[in-house]
Amino acid sequence: MGGWIVLSVLGLILVWLILIYNGLISLRNDVQSSWKQIDVQLKRRHDLIPNLVSTVKGAMEFEQDTLEKVISARAMAVSATTPATKAGAENMLTQALGKLFAVMENYPALKSNQNVMQLQEELTSTENRIAFARQLYNDLVANYRTRLQVFPNNIVSSTLNFHPEEYFETEEAARTAPNVNLSLRGK
Amino acid sequence: MPLTFIDIERQKNWRIWAFFLILMLLYFVVTAVFTSIFLPVSVHTSAHFWIFAGVIAIFVAGIHFLFSAYDTVNTVIRGLSAQLPDPKDDIHKMLINIMEEIHVVTGNRRKMQCVVIPSLSMNALAAADLKGAAVICITEGLLSRLTRPQLEAVIAHEAHHILSGDCLEATVAASLFGTYAAALENLSDTSQGRTFSSPAFLLAGGLVKLSSLLNMFISREREYRADAASVRMTRNPIALAETLHLLSRSWRGAGFIGSGYEMLCIVNPEVTALDETEGFWADLLSTHPPIRKRVDILLGMARVSITELDEKAKKNAKKNAEDTQKPPQPAYYAMNPRQQWQGPFNIAELGALPWLSPLTWVTTGDRQTVERAWKEPLINAIFTARLVQEEGVASEFTCPSCRQPLVMESYEGTQVYQCRFCSGTLAENSKIPRIIARTGRERPCSERMSALARTVAKENQIRYTQQKLGVDSRTKMPLLACPKCKNPMSRAFYSLAHLIEIDRCSFCDLTWFDQDELEMLQCLIASRESLDREPKELSV
Repeated sequence: MGGWIVLSVLGLILVWLILIYNGLISLRNDVQSSWKQIDVQLKRRHDLIPNLVSTVKGAMEFEQDTLEKVISARAMAVSATTPATKAGAENMLTQALGKLFAVMENYPALKSNQNVMQLQEELTSTENRIAFARQLYNDLVANYRTRLQVFPNNIVSSTLNFHPEEYFETEEAARTAPNVNLSLRGK
Repeated sequence: MPLTFIDIERQKNWRIWAFFLILMLLYFVVTAVFTSIFLPVSVHTSAHFWIFAGVIAIFVAGIHFLFSAYDTVNTVIRGLSAQLPDPKDDIHKMLINIMEEIHVVTGNRRKMQCVVIPSLSMNALAAADLKGAAVICITEGLLSRLTRPQLEAVIAHEAHHILSGDCLEATVAASLFGTYAAALENLSDTSQGRTFSSPAFLLAGGLVKLSSLLNMFISREREYRADAASVRMTRNPIALAETLHLLSRSWRGAGFIGSGYEMLCIVNPEVTALDETEGFWADLLSTHPPIRKRVDILLGMARVSITELDEKAKKNAKKNAEDTQKPPQPAYYAMNPRQQWQGPFNIAELGALPWLSPLTWVTTGDRQTVERAWKEPLINAIFTARLVQEEGVASEFTCPSCRQPLVMESYEGTQVYQCRFCSGTLAENSKIPRIIARTGRERPCSERMSALARTVAKENQIRYTQQKLGVDSRTKMPLLACPKCKNPMSRAFYSLAHLIEIDRCSFCDLTWFDQDELEMLQCLIASRESLDREPKELSV
């Protein structure tokens, strides 16, 4: 009789351990898939920029400098291989785009051009999606970290070698101008 | 110490669950009381009775639930005659994009649809049902008056209602007690109050009232929680505060958004004094918390005071007023191809409009007359500039409708003059037979053109008959001036077999075809020829 009790208690503990383990795994997968989501949105931005540049080029003859900065930043971002260079390039691209949008305000012809307005809306949306994807990533990381650290999960996580994921940090808090800092994430 | 959105969400989560549980318990008690009315009193004390009542309650609740929550989304969409956003419309496109953004920030946990309610009122609501469908409805009025960040905040608020299950819970609660409330009302109507003397009925009535109060309380808590969640998603408390501020002074669709949906809206469509006052009774009897309180909480998160918000709104309004007060140049309004007035434009903006043509109707803000664009010398310069840019060889002829130089073009191997703006064609009479004979060599008749030609010919046939009978009631268009000698051209049909209207100058031997008229004529003649030919081929 006593043996049965011990066995069932052990069984319950095992089930409970499995539940904790599975919960942590699914949280970690969420974190990783949300990291991929950021890349998807960055890719979307790269695809939109050539369209925008070719549409506004004619009307913005005197801003070749600004346009070239956008083009070169995009080229760098697309060709970047290491996280650190990629982070730098995406940063530059965000800033160059911000400058371009600011300059575009001075061209009424552009503002009444429907093509340009539509492209600008798409890019604004993409910038937001990038920011939101990063935010989701950070929220999920926070959640995952909490789960790792609370008792009794911390016993399971430390014995089974779960590592807290790194936060995605931005240099400024400005939501509209997010800065990529991929180097912070341990791999 | 202002609360952060995380604190608020946590606190409200706990409260909403606790009270929802109480509400469900209350439902069982009400069912028990109702059951007791139809059962002998002696049974009440036994345990069997409670089990029996419980089973009935669960059964009835299940049926209610299925009926009320199964197809809510479609019911709401149909009830409000809402439509899917049009991706070709710029503002609707923005809405579609924002929906995508909200899907990103919520991690694509649930697919949400969005629809637009064709109403000028300002409100938004969310609905979800058991089939898993979820929809966010937003009125055209709100959509067109909010800025992008504000719209984002509203959509995030509504999305949280869906994701947290608020919508489903609200539907469930409303339907569960709604049936009892309706039953009580009917009974009291038919019995003229006599049955109400029964203590069980009094008790049931009291409990139903209590449940509706509880329901409203939960609804208010939900609004606070959704506000906090909206800030969590967009990190922009100011935008939501501004929106609520704006909504508090606008028509929110009272009378349009029917009762029953009000719990799902971002602000209560009915403006009641109770809603905006705080205090015990007001709090008890309203579905939405006072907007002022909601704005205060949001501003607390952003560490801005309500007076600052007010000042900012006033400053914006003043700036807008100043902008409109002193236009730098005369502002032009132009009618676009869809017959809508657009503007104001200055001359540079006007020049950039792709649809501006010499025949576009334009007017200035301070003048009452409406003119064709070519009559305004300033605007006319735009067309001259466009022609020069397009490097066509301008001829000495001018278009009789647009008054712009015609450009020499090669057409079916011969030279004609065309207007770049209205696509009309000027041909020397000698060249017309050539053109007709060559029909179909370079470009065959398109289906559209043949159909158009048949329709026009048929219409002209009727008109011709009417003319003969002297009953043509149509107003005659003024005659056009010849592009060469400027004398009025005569208007006639090309021939009685081919009823296409053309303008001809008998002095210069020139013929003017309006847009498509030449092609139509070609198609008509070509189709007649093939008809003539076919029977012969058959007989051979």
